[in-house]
Amino acid sequence: MATIDGTSIKKLIVACDAGMGSSVMLASTLKKQLAKNGVTVEHSPVASIPSDADLVFSLAGLAERARHTVPDVPVVPFQLFLGDPAVAKIVKAIQNGESFEV
Amino acid sequence: MSDETGPALAALLAESSIRLAETASDKEDAIRQVGAALLEADAIDASYIDAMLERERSVSTFVGEGVAIPHGTLAGKDSVKNDALVVLRFPDGVDWDGNDVRVCVGIAARGNGHIALLSQLATVLLDPDRAAALRAATTSDEVYELLKPDPEDE
Repeated sequence: MATIDGTSIKKLIVACDAGMGSSVMLASTLKKQLAKNGVTVEHSPVASIPSDADLVFSLAGLAERARHTVPDVPVVPFQLFLGDPAVAKIVKAIQNGESFEV
Repeated sequence: MSDETGPALAALLAESSIRLAETASDKEDAIRQVGAALLEADAIDASYIDAMLERERSVSTFVGEGVAIPHGTLAGKDSVKNDALVVLRFPDGVDWDGNDVRVCVGIAARGNGHIALLSQLATVLLDPDRAAALRAATTSDEVYELLKPDPEDE
C-alpha cells in the first residue's frame, strides 16, 4: 500500500491489451471527468505504457503485465468499465485534491 | 442514413455493418458473427476472429449496460486491414459470462479513427436512457444518431 497525493497526478494511463477497446472508452470518460484538474488521460496497450505516467488504471487480468512494464508507477486494477468502485474513489480524490491509497 | 451523419462515421460504420435482429446460441457464436461482419466489411483477415476469441478468453469485453465490444489482441492487430466497426444487436440476449448482452460493437482498428465513436459510445452507456435506446434500436438511423461523435470531442 502506498499513499498518493491526488494533486500529484498529472498523467493517467488506462491500459488494456490492444489499446483498442475498453481502455479507449474509460480513458475518454476520465478525460472529461478530470479535465478541470489538469490531468492528461491517455490509453495504451499494457506493453507500451509510458514510463512518465503518474498512475495506471489497468483491466484486472492485465495488472501484472502493466506492473512489469512500469515497475515504478502505481497500477490500479479495475473490473468494470461503468462505475468501478476503485476507479470512482480515485477520481473523486483527484477531483478534490485529496490523497488516496493504492 | 440521416443527412447529418458525418462521412467519418459512415466510413467507419457502414450501414451494411449494422445488423439489428440477430440471434446467437452463445457468446462464442456471437463473437464469430461479429467477426464475420468485420470480414464482410473487408476490415480484417479471418485470423483476427481467433484473436477476438482469445482476447475474450483472457479478459471479457463486456462493458456494462448490456453491451460488449469484441475486438482482437495486440498481436491480432496485424490482421486488421482497414479500421471498421460493426454493430450487431441480439434482441433475445446472449449470455456473456452471466451478463445479458443485447448489443455487440465489434472493433477492428490499427489507427485512432474509431476513438471518437468509442468515446461517444461511452457517453451513451453512462446515460441510462440512451443506453436503453441503443439496446432497443431497430433502425440504422437510430444507431447512427446515438453514436454520432460529439463535436466537443477531439
